[in-house]
Amino acid sequence: MNALRIAWKDLKFLLRSRTMLVMSLLMPILMMLMMGYIFPKDYSDTSVKMGFYSEDPLFSLVAIPKMAKSGKVVVYKSRKEMLDALAKGQIAAAVVVPKGFMQNYTKGNATLEVIPSPSNPQAAIMISKMAASFMGREGKSEEKKVKVKLVGVGGEDFSYYQFMAPGMMAMIAIMSVASGLAASITRERELGTLDGLMVTPISRSSIVVGKILAQTVRGVVQALIVLGTSMLLFGVRVHGNILETLLLLILSTFSFIGIGIIITAGIKEQETAQLTMMTITFPMMFFSGVFFPIDQMPKIAQYISKIFPLTYAADALRKNVVIGSSIDLMTFDITVLLLFALLTSVLATIMFPKLVKE
Amino acid sequence: MKAIVVENLKKYYGKVKAVDGISFEVEWGELFALLGPNGAGKSTTIRVLTTLASPTSGRAFVAGYDVVKEERKVRKKIGLVSDKLILYDRLTVLENVFFFSKLYGLSDKEIYERAERLLKMLDMWEWKNMRVSKLSTGMKQKVNLVRALVPKPDILFLDEPTLGLDPHTTRKIRDFIKELHQEGVTIILTTHILHEVELLATKVAIINKGKIVAMDTPKSLKNLFKEKEIVQIEYEGDLKIPSGVKILESAEGYLKVEVESLEKFLHDVTGQSVRIINVKSFEPSLEDIFVKLTGGEAA
Repeated sequence: MNALRIAWKDLKFLLRSRTMLVMSLLMPILMMLMMGYIFPKDYSDTSVKMGFYSEDPLFSLVAIPKMAKSGKVVVYKSRKEMLDALAKGQIAAAVVVPKGFMQNYTKGNATLEVIPSPSNPQAAIMISKMAASFMGREGKSEEKKVKVKLVGVGGEDFSYYQFMAPGMMAMIAIMSVASGLAASITRERELGTLDGLMVTPISRSSIVVGKILAQTVRGVVQALIVLGTSMLLFGVRVHGNILETLLLLILSTFSFIGIGIIITAGIKEQETAQLTMMTITFPMMFFSGVFFPIDQMPKIAQYISKIFPLTYAADALRKNVVIGSSIDLMTFDITVLLLFALLTSVLATIMFPKLVKE
Repeated sequence: MKAIVVENLKKYYGKVKAVDGISFEVEWGELFALLGPNGAGKSTTIRVLTTLASPTSGRAFVAGYDVVKEERKVRKKIGLVSDKLILYDRLTVLENVFFFSKLYGLSDKEIYERAERLLKMLDMWEWKNMRVSKLSTGMKQKVNLVRALVPKPDILFLDEPTLGLDPHTTRKIRDFIKELHQEGVTIILTTHILHEVELLATKVAIINKGKIVAMDTPKSLKNLFKEKEIVQIEYEGDLKIPSGVKILESAEGYLKVEVESLEKFLHDVTGQSVRIINVKSFEPSLEDIFVKLTGGEAA
């Protein structure tokens, strides 16, 4: 009986907060919508292309001209050119034909190295199987002679984790900011210390900028811990410039803070703020391509993915960490992230005093 | 220029009329009390005056500045203490004081000196390096006062500063407020405790349901409240009943009377060779006053 009393009180408590109620109802709907939309209807994407780069002169001479005609294959003159194409998403997998391939081929132990696209390793793994059969047909119809080895850009063994880590870093940075802001702004408001800040003669923007700085540091530190553990425990390698990795991480974290501030400043209770943040960050996690490749999602989901800064952050970081692309291949991602960051921060600075004032 | 001018100030939250057209003025150096029951609109008034809430209509000037148009100038002049502590509990006492005071542009030396003086006045200096979370409620409120005072506000807002504190701390804080007032700080105090007003205020406004129902010096309001006072006395010996006293109950060594002035009565009684064991005086309660002032609408 008393258990029922407690249960009824708890439910009543939930029902009395309108925001909590709306969020609690919205959450499962969103979840189901997401689940329904992010998974691909079928995997038979016929438009994907493979990149080929041959280090074996004989292969270049014999096989390349024929392959180039098939339309499924793009042949590159340099490794860098091919990797750049991979970063740009022009090819789904980069196939390296190693030196002496033809010689080994005749001996029956030829190996192809395939670097999967960082944004969609699953597809690349499937395609790589095709690469073998493709070779078979182009060659002398002895399919089993060509082995396919999945590798990273540095020639190291392929690790799925390597492809996931950059997106996870960005995700954890943003999630930590989301929960950090809910704690820092709404909690300060609940406790009354925000009043204390608001009655001091400092400019409102310094309050907002201060919060942004602290949360960026927090987010970046957490992301670096992810990077550190993935490198030490799971052998993840950063192929790009590590300084650029750091800059991208800072930018990723920064890109979400403005939105976070606007949301948390408008909410009076910490619990509601946290739930609201979760309602945003949870779909973001699924839609932004960290776990599920965006180009396999249905069109609607692909459009939705474009509204989350994490999508761009994860993309840029993957290019940096997995392929080691130079920064000019991330111009679009960086521009979008910068715009997100600046616009929302400015908006947050303008709105903050109005949101917290009664 | 007056310290505070409030003109027909209204603050509505949806349909709730928290403050419903109040006007008052506070002179520099005054200790002005807003007295009223919970929910009367005291805190809302303070929140508007400290720029934390915008008025629905009406105007208010603090230190000569408009609370809406010149927020920042107002903020430079004021300090706020409310029952919600403005302290970070994971910071130490001094870290809190320094953090907030630095936002007013004070030098480290200045902050340290003032903090030392004020914390010593409140017996809190030895706790200066303690995290706030480790302090008792009373100690926290003392630090909260110091936090508001180190930046030298011209006008100090105290919103129920003794709420929930033990008698000893309450007394200490009241003495401290008195001292601040003597040093010339203009103080706006809200409270629902009549006694506090009597002890401290130079002027008091009684507020109920968002409206000011009476405003005067505590003395004149007191006269309005207590035309008569009821005293209960236990004694040993032969007590001669003074003149001007109406006996309500009497027994061996016990007397309950209605008197015109408690002070005169006590003077008359203690002058006799009687051993007084216990004296209780019954002041009209705040409810009584409200009944009187609001014509039957008890708070």
